[in-house]
Amino acid sequence: MESRYNTIIGLEVHAQLATKTKTWCRCQVVSHAIENTKVCEICSGHPGTLPSMNQKVRDFAILLGLATQCRINLLSFFDRKNYFYPDLPKGYQITQYDVPICQDGHIEITSDNGEIKKIGIERIQIEEDTGKSIHNKKSTLIDLNRAGTPLLEIVGKPDIVNSKEAVSYLKKLHALLTYLGISSGNMQEGNMRCDVNISLSPKRSQKRGTRTETKNLNSFRSVEHLIELEVQRQGQILDEGKKVIQQTLSFDVNSSTIKILRTKSDANDYRYFPEPDLSPLAFEQSLVDKLAAQLPELPDAKKSRFQGQYKLSSYDADFLTSSKFLADYFEKAVKFFRGKDAKKISNWIMVELFHALNEVALPIEKSPISPADLSELLNMIDSGEISGKMAKEIFQKMFDEHKKARTVIEELDLRQINSDDKIEELIDTVLEQNLNEVTRYENGEKRLFGFFVGQVMKLSKGQANPAKVNKLLHKKLD
Amino acid sequence: MDIFEAHQKLKAKEISPSELTRQCLDKALKSKNNSFISIVEDFAHQCALESEKRIQKNGPQTYLDGIPFSLKDLFITKGIRTTAGSMILANYIPPYDGYVSEKLKKAGGTLIGKTNCDEFGMGSTNENSYFGPVSNPLNRKFVPGGSSGGSAVSVLEGSSFYSMGTDTGGSIRLPANFCGLISLRPSYGRISRYGQIAHSSSLDQCAPLGKSVTDMACLLEALTEYDVRDATNVPLGTMSIAQDVHQTPPEHLKGKKIGVYAPFIDACKPLVKSSLEKALKHCEEAGAKIVTIDLRHLKYAISTYYIISTSEASSNLARFDGIHYGLRESDGQGLEQTYQKSRSRGFGNEVKRRILLGTYSLSAGYYDAYYKKACQMRRLIFDDFQSAFKSCDVIFSPVCASTAFPVDMSQKSPTEMYINDFYTVPIALAGLPGLALPYGKGENDLPTGFQLIGKPFGEKELLKIGRALELTY
Repeated sequence: MESRYNTIIGLEVHAQLATKTKTWCRCQVVSHAIENTKVCEICSGHPGTLPSMNQKVRDFAILLGLATQCRINLLSFFDRKNYFYPDLPKGYQITQYDVPICQDGHIEITSDNGEIKKIGIERIQIEEDTGKSIHNKKSTLIDLNRAGTPLLEIVGKPDIVNSKEAVSYLKKLHALLTYLGISSGNMQEGNMRCDVNISLSPKRSQKRGTRTETKNLNSFRSVEHLIELEVQRQGQILDEGKKVIQQTLSFDVNSSTIKILRTKSDANDYRYFPEPDLSPLAFEQSLVDKLAAQLPELPDAKKSRFQGQYKLSSYDADFLTSSKFLADYFEKAVKFFRGKDAKKISNWIMVELFHALNEVALPIEKSPISPADLSELLNMIDSGEISGKMAKEIFQKMFDEHKKARTVIEELDLRQINSDDKIEELIDTVLEQNLNEVTRYENGEKRLFGFFVGQVMKLSKGQANPAKVNKLLHKKLD
Repeated sequence: MDIFEAHQKLKAKEISPSELTRQCLDKALKSKNNSFISIVEDFAHQCALESEKRIQKNGPQTYLDGIPFSLKDLFITKGIRTTAGSMILANYIPPYDGYVSEKLKKAGGTLIGKTNCDEFGMGSTNENSYFGPVSNPLNRKFVPGGSSGGSAVSVLEGSSFYSMGTDTGGSIRLPANFCGLISLRPSYGRISRYGQIAHSSSLDQCAPLGKSVTDMACLLEALTEYDVRDATNVPLGTMSIAQDVHQTPPEHLKGKKIGVYAPFIDACKPLVKSSLEKALKHCEEAGAKIVTIDLRHLKYAISTYYIISTSEASSNLARFDGIHYGLRESDGQGLEQTYQKSRSRGFGNEVKRRILLGTYSLSAGYYDAYYKKACQMRRLIFDDFQSAFKSCDVIFSPVCASTAFPVDMSQKSPTEMYINDFYTVPIALAGLPGLALPYGKGENDLPTGFQLIGKPFGEKELLKIGRALELTY
């Protein structure tokens, strides 16, 4: 049913940067460490301490700004966002409020109708992460290992109209972060978190509807799911002639429920003001130029190169360039492949490999089959050493047992039977065992040909070269 | 005896670090002035012994080697209780050393103790300390000035040769002025603030207090190494100026242009005024030229200062929340209660007053009217000084319109006290260096004096002029 409303969605993404040390002190950034062991007097907010900036954070922010066509501000400022929370030891967060480092960019996504759509980026700002509160039944404990680790907040413009676009945007942003090597993008560990702003307004209405903000989603699936539910929920409210209330929400993925965190009226007044402990963030255009020269090939460019160089479809090229690791995996496999049609490799990666990975919930980074091993398998098909059907069986064993194709073949004695003599031997046995059918065939029941082929293949345990079986069987029978 | 003289005596082995330390500790322990919050006897003896070994072998390694000093209790000292004069930090033992403590230790100084001060440096009488007021040994009916009152009195009573205090809006210059001592507020960014408990970040500056202009030079020499941990520290490098300043001849004053804004002097109490006029005449006799300057925007300095400093303080003091360190008052009723009770109990009235003022100025809807306006005014005040310096080398200004205030005055009308910072806050807002020098007596037979204001990072010339003037007294 056609909706009566226009949906407007804006996303704010927090991406943790993969710097070696924290933003304002030289404590290591580690995702798994014993609580409160990666902490010093600065990131634990002791009196008298001051922040001094890790310049890598600046460089990483500029790289993302360049990759998203932002304007890079050669002079930007830090501000304090004041609020009390136990995992915020200074009582304020250092962020960028008035003038962020990057502004006015965009990310291109492919929308439903296959057209390229630009999703605007309002700003990219540098800020610090908080610690973590660990709630037990009786008490709350605080871990400050994460306190002061660098984040980029990427504030998108409200250009998104549905959950699919939202996910495409997030996937593209995720790809950029990992291509640039500035974030691990590990979403389960909260390295990329997303706040979703949604508002609905009646079609033909000029006024934008009241929005809700849902905090801290950490998977593409939960963003997709939340948008669908929230759009439905707001639609229902409007259908009933009621008003949507400006609220901050949270979403529980497991139970698919939306909870109200707070309504606008009791929102915090963060009392932003310029951070007096830091000088303005100022640098020369030459730094931007230097970093621009270091930019790697980015997803869009790689995608069109893949389409041209490997004759891949837009869909396949999109899929393979969705992460740098995957794109590299594909290109490494191509290098080892002796055939000409790279499409075969993309098929195997997208169908067999991803099917197997998804079964056991592994990311491509953890694939038990290396690009070289995959290509070796495909080379064997091409040379006729094994059949496509056998290859699938071998592939599964390679995947399950972390073995190379050759090892699996030797272990299972799976080599294809190509010798004419051996195949003729098999054919003779089959014909002898099925004299009745031979007579019927000779009497004109030609469709029994397939039956003989099947019997020969069965007898060879599938190892006989089917093309040869066909050819030699015709010779015998006709 | 100032640092330089003590240094010469140590060099000549006429006296030993242990003797100096014993003398100072003795005075500190017997003091009835409440100048110290903590006295670190054992640590002081240990420092003195180490100096002694060094001096026996190779002589003093720096001007400060073997010389007893004190630190305002806003300076973080590793393993030594650091309270900021507040109940909320009454039992706080820092896990790290701040820049000043680190540097003075490295220079071979002997720490006698941590001096009393107004809580978090908020006050001008040293009556706002959780550890009680500091008495002015010159006359107990009057305050020693604040917030670095303990520092001034520790030098005055002879329990330390010099003291490191802080100056946010006059906190070093006022006590020096009330106690007849010498102090320097360096340019903002000259000395690292790392490990100095923050009151107002854009105004706070660590500031030495002692008995001579040469003392100021010796301390700048020890404390001006660039520190990457403070992003507002300007990388100008160590100032090796002690010899140069010390050897400045009186003739250095010849032809120097001293700027004066007459309404400033006219607004002072009669005896202070006549002392200042005498001081100016003295400068002229020594060969300096008095030139008239215009500092018209300085009349807005008080409001500007109290908006900016309280705004920053409201944020800087947010970390004292009873969660991570310091006083925690919790009755198991939850987080909000812990915050409220810890802060209500742990902070004194003046600190609370300023947190509320600052929170108000930064609030949505008020920011533009207060904080933003104040920042614009700050710029105009700086510009006033910039144009004044086109026609003069240093500026001559009162430090306070009166001599030391009577005891308890600050508690009767706390906000009216703010007006007394009229002469000290402008240069803090402009980030300029100011050298407070004693000169004569004013009302109640108490010391008075003036300050010389230098160009941005013009400490060397400022001290040379100060030294030349000192020699003509």
